[in-house]
Amino acid sequence: MQFLRCVHAEFLLVLPRIVRTHLGFALLSLGISLVWLHAHGLDALTVVLQAGALGAIVGAAGVVGHENDRPALKISLTHPTTPLAVALGRWLAIVSPAVVLALGCTAVIEATPSALMASLLAAAAVGSCALAIVLTLGKGAATTLFLLMAVAGTVAPERLVDLARPGLLRLTAASVLELGPALWHYRDIVTGDVGAVLHALAWAGLGLLLAAAFIGRRRR
Amino acid sequence: MSDYALTVSDVSGRELGPLSLALLPGEIAGVVGPAGAGKSWLLRVAAGLLRPSTGDVRVWGMSVADPAARLLIGYASDHAVVPNALTVAEVLLYYARLHRARSNGGGRTPRSLVREALELAGLTAAAELRVDTLGRADLHRLNLAQAALGGRRVLLLDEMLSGGALDAFARRDLRGRIARLAADGVAVLITSRDPATLERLAARVLVMRDGRVVRAGPLATLLGERILEVILDAPPPEPPPGFRVTASGLEASLNGRTVEAALALCRAHRLPVRASRVRVKSLEEIVLETHDTH
Repeated sequence: MQFLRCVHAEFLLVLPRIVRTHLGFALLSLGISLVWLHAHGLDALTVVLQAGALGAIVGAAGVVGHENDRPALKISLTHPTTPLAVALGRWLAIVSPAVVLALGCTAVIEATPSALMASLLAAAAVGSCALAIVLTLGKGAATTLFLLMAVAGTVAPERLVDLARPGLLRLTAASVLELGPALWHYRDIVTGDVGAVLHALAWAGLGLLLAAAFIGRRRR
Repeated sequence: MSDYALTVSDVSGRELGPLSLALLPGEIAGVVGPAGAGKSWLLRVAAGLLRPSTGDVRVWGMSVADPAARLLIGYASDHAVVPNALTVAEVLLYYARLHRARSNGGGRTPRSLVREALELAGLTAAAELRVDTLGRADLHRLNLAQAALGGRRVLLLDEMLSGGALDAFARRDLRGRIARLAADGVAVLITSRDPATLERLAARVLVMRDGRVVRAGPLATLLGERILEVILDAPPPEPPPGFRVTASGLEASLNGRTVEAALALCRAHRLPVRASRVRVKSLEEIVLETHDTH
């Protein structure tokens, strides 16, 4: 019960951030941009997946990206909470606005429920990964992750490897796309691909554990 | 259950320590020393934020790593770092929610904990202000409120009274609030790079240098040393044995001799004494002396 209360306390931090920082505006702008892109030819599944994944990255920047956030987490740990509760609460705070954004986009562009389900899983996986990355590397890393996810994340690794003389760089990029959370993977959730679902769930869990380890690490 | 509120036993880290100290309930101990002496390191180790290479820290006999210990020990860092975009009351409510489940036995809700903390730190009027609009003094008060929240029994306050931006009134106010907490039985370990700020607060002082305690003792004992100041009409060609030249004349420690004997020595050296007075040595002088001799 104590654990859940601590998770709840962390989650509640998202509400003032949406209202009082750029987070709300950034999410709204992202939603409007995606709907506009749909009106100009982007397919519905990509729009909903991007809403979930990119919304989660924007959420991570807003929820743990401020210069005060990381040192403040250390102060939180001097209170009766645990690193995992902090990480889980912040993850929920990151993913919830992305879910709302995905729901909104689904409603506006009339996407299918299976596309929405894929988007929610993508938000969970990417949000978890973004939480760990922003905690470790700072807010700047969120911008890089956003661009990677928006552009490279939609490219299947086979398209890189199948090119003539792929080279080490392309092979590395293809491996990252294969292993990391990427939207090309999560498109298959719509068709009921269990591997894609497990990939998303694995990333959600791994990112949370990495974030909790970062929050709880005690240097000598 | 231990008689000590806080025990730090033989802790050491990178080129710091080993270091031990014990704090009784209601005691205020000041840790002074120059920047880099290891004061903040000591507090972070005591708060459980840093892991010492050796030794351990106990709060009322419990390991500081035990979550139950964190209900009893509060830490305020040298810079108030709080989640952004929140008001003072929201920041405290966030921390209070982390305490709620375990505090329910006392019938205290998060909001009642926040009210208590706001009153304790003198922040009731600023409760609805955004933290990014607060002045330096209110940030220190918020830091104190955060650390003391939930009726914690041991407080670790890093540079709570330091900083040029804190005026004398704010320092006096914070000193009074910390003293009231100690009067209620809260043990306080407070650091300062400026010894003068602790002179009217700490009952015991530890002087640190290079990660070690080089001098420690009750403030009354440390400040017991008396100094004779002699004001001269003209600067002396050479000070008598045991005297130092100052801007207005001479001064000497009265350890083991009387005022009369010291003045007689001045007269024997034919010095034009205009006036003299006896004062106690300041904590700053003691700390600087200790620093220079170790």
